[in-house]
Amino acid sequence: MAYSDKVVDHYENPRNVGSLDKNAEDVGTGLVGAPACGDVMKLQIKVGVDGVIEDAKFKTFGCGSAIASSSLVTEWVKGKTVDEAETIKNTEIAKHLALPPVKIHCSVLAEDAIKAAIADYRAKAAKKQDEQPKAAE
Amino acid sequence: MQTPMCWSCGAPVEAAASFCAACQAVQPPGQLDHFARLGLGRGYTVDLAALDRAYFALQRRLHPDRFVRKQPRERAISQQQAAALNEAYETLKHPIRRARYLAELMDVDLPGDGRTIDDPQLLMEAMEAREALAEAGTVAEVQALERRSRDESDAAIAALRELFTRADQAGIRRAILRLAYLDKFVEEARARRLNLGSAGP
Repeated sequence: MAYSDKVVDHYENPRNVGSLDKNAEDVGTGLVGAPACGDVMKLQIKVGVDGVIEDAKFKTFGCGSAIASSSLVTEWVKGKTVDEAETIKNTEIAKHLALPPVKIHCSVLAEDAIKAAIADYRAKAAKKQDEQPKAAE
Repeated sequence: MQTPMCWSCGAPVEAAASFCAACQAVQPPGQLDHFARLGLGRGYTVDLAALDRAYFALQRRLHPDRFVRKQPRERAISQQQAAALNEAYETLKHPIRRARYLAELMDVDLPGDGRTIDDPQLLMEAMEAREALAEAGTVAEVQALERRSRDESDAAIAALRELFTRADQAGIRRAILRLAYLDKFVEEARARRLNLGSAGP
């Protein structure tokens, strides 16, 4: 099965590979994986005070489609608000990369990853807000 | 439940019988589970010597080579029988495939392709292992990681016996998912080792 040009492009020149400090308050980390194919994917976002995603990084061990899907998502979410980023659908990822039916699950995983990163960021933000009144007393 | 009948002579046939007792015609494989097909008790602990004996005994009687002079219908049925037998044997012989199969019989909820699993600890372990592999620069380093994964895999398989005995569904699920990652890791480590080996001086 041949990969589409866009998958090959992301596979050969992955965007935003790397890690952000997962303990930082403004960083949300999503760690997801599908044991059936042995894939594991980490996607991180760094969110500014205005709620806009300033930076995104990923690290994926898996097939070309899984790498391309996560690479594409990091590209897409930069400059978006957290709320906007949350609306990204796996179908958009699959369509953009022209993934064949057997590789659709890779785009599903990438959607799970950005959702998990956003959930982690929100949990941190909520915790910070809980702690603030106590600090003021 | 209706007693199955021999397709050839119409005599009643026992569910697990491969041949009609009346006319000796080979019977279709039917809906037996892999354990029943090989005449073994259902459970994770399998006597591999007994498995081999059961398989080869059935294989001798059901192999399509024995049916070349028979009617086309018998030939076709013997091929179905041989395929079902091979599938049962390969599944029960392999410890990870056996675990998956038995878990499915027990209705343990195992994820297929697609959605992520919700087990941060396992995912972290898998991520860290793959990072270590990516950073390993020599064949010896890769071999050490490979050995560690094999040992962990063996320990997880040993632990499965106890989990199946207790019918611990959550424990079985977790062990099977972990084994899938360990299996994949060993495969990736082997590929990396061969790569490093051939690129070496």
